[in-house]
Amino acid sequence: MSRAVVRTSRVPLGSALGFTITALVLSVGAYVIAGYGKRGQLPARFVIYAAIFAGGYALALIAIRRFAPAADPALFATAGVLVGLGFAMIFRLSGGLATEQATWIVVGLAAFVVTIVVVRDHRMLDAYTYTIGLLGLILLMLPMVPGIGRTINGARLWVQIGPLGFQPAELGKVLIVIFLASYLTQKRELLQVATTRLGPFRLPAPKHLAPVLFAWAGSLAILFLQRDLGASLLYFGIFVVMLWVATGRAVYLVIGLVLFALGAYLGWALFDHVQLRVDVWLNALDPNKVFDLGYGQLAQAQFGMATGGLVGTGLGQGSPGLIPFAPTDFIFAAIGEELGLFGTTALLLLYVVLVGKGLRIALEARDPFGRLLATGLSALIGLQTFVIVGGVTRVIPLTGVTLPFVSYGGSSLVSNFILLALLVRISSGPAPGRAVT
Amino acid sequence: MTPFVLSVLKYSLLGLLYFFVFRAVRSVALDIAGRRRERRTTEMRAPTEQVAAARSSKGGKPPSHVVVHEPDGAKARNVKLSGPTQIGRGAACAIRLSDTYVSQVHARLYGENGSWFVEDLGSTNGTYLNDRKVASPVEVHAGDVVKVGKTVLELRR
Repeated sequence: MSRAVVRTSRVPLGSALGFTITALVLSVGAYVIAGYGKRGQLPARFVIYAAIFAGGYALALIAIRRFAPAADPALFATAGVLVGLGFAMIFRLSGGLATEQATWIVVGLAAFVVTIVVVRDHRMLDAYTYTIGLLGLILLMLPMVPGIGRTINGARLWVQIGPLGFQPAELGKVLIVIFLASYLTQKRELLQVATTRLGPFRLPAPKHLAPVLFAWAGSLAILFLQRDLGASLLYFGIFVVMLWVATGRAVYLVIGLVLFALGAYLGWALFDHVQLRVDVWLNALDPNKVFDLGYGQLAQAQFGMATGGLVGTGLGQGSPGLIPFAPTDFIFAAIGEELGLFGTTALLLLYVVLVGKGLRIALEARDPFGRLLATGLSALIGLQTFVIVGGVTRVIPLTGVTLPFVSYGGSSLVSNFILLALLVRISSGPAPGRAVT
Repeated sequence: MTPFVLSVLKYSLLGLLYFFVFRAVRSVALDIAGRRRERRTTEMRAPTEQVAAARSSKGGKPPSHVVVHEPDGAKARNVKLSGPTQIGRGAACAIRLSDTYVSQVHARLYGENGSWFVEDLGSTNGTYLNDRKVASPVEVHAGDVVKVGKTVLELRR
């Protein structure tokens, strides 16, 4: 019956309240400005949406105060600002999508509160290593099942059951991170010991290296079967980072990079769609190819961001509607057009704050599982942001993943809120009240 | 709504956005500073408390080894202290004891800035440093004796 070490230091209410109110003002403010910019009047559903944001953020704050009182006060608010900015942009692009996104925000906030209340101590997740891992794997593979799987925009990511469509892999990602944190905490000692020599490197025994190769093969399989470049990159990246942090051995980073280079080359050599992505990346602004698939959309994104300049055209006053997939993959470019370089920089800084706080939580976590889990979850947000922002700004070939908390999309929003709730939980330590065994 | 008002609103939004980022980043910095201040105040505690703290440990060099004497008369084990070390009957503990008076996760030893501390993790029968009950983390030194259940842990250089 080990009672956990409960941190007694309660974060002062003023601090958490201040952050949350600022987040609320920013969210509703951006939405109102977008309404005035677009139509010159207060949006018709102002009262409904403002009430959703105010009520939702207030409930989340109460849940944090009640069940995770020592949590970082700015963590939820930072995500709240991202959600608010994303919502304003989606509303500005399409009123219909905004209604759907508002529904998903409600569901996401509910999932956040439920996760905080149910997961009273993050260490209880450590007990279900393989159950969670299996569940994550099932979610990843679900779109492969004939009958319910759907291919949308060339990637087989969707599951359609009746009227309900969702991307199970979004939640699968979070479960896989939990599994990896738990698995690697148990196995890290084995993976730390180097026994075999390979050139200048000292490698762990092949038996213990197997999971690395397995993860590599798995992410290649995702590339093969689901044609999803972004997810494949994300999984492998997270795995390598977590392995590195768990063992403290940089050799895994080197092995990971080599395997990644090999996988990237193989993917490029074998698949047309990968070759196309690379060519789009390099020749997006080639005038001869503007009407070919993929080139035009990336060119439009560049033009959008260029139009925005330093401070942007103002919400509702640009024409980000010209960019294909503006509410999802290209929302960063849409924000760049209407809020400019200053707006997108602030957006990136918000992610820096989120990931930085996540890593701080990892440093302060008292148990190895919590430490690794916080690292993995932060790496997930950071890598995903890098993959999509890098793609939109042509730093790397574009792969379609969502911009966490900002992009339109229910599955992504809900699973990101669950991820955030886990970070809040680790940050606060076990919930007060009943003893956790 | 004139274009002028709209751009004022736009700049206000950007301003507020950066204000939020500034506050969020500063909260991290303050957090670190606050922790430092906390540590300083523990060092400059009230004199009576200081005496109490000094008596519970003999003072001296930080330990690097711990010798485990289990009650069943088995040979003493020597464990090197390298990182946070949990003590208990549970499988997750680095120092695993078969003493029935010891909780699953009983106590832990951890190092911070070159010093070592012992902390009771909510055990049923308590943790004792030189026969004084450990309520909150206490610094330990070479030569101190930690008792958990019927097991004696001797800290050595």
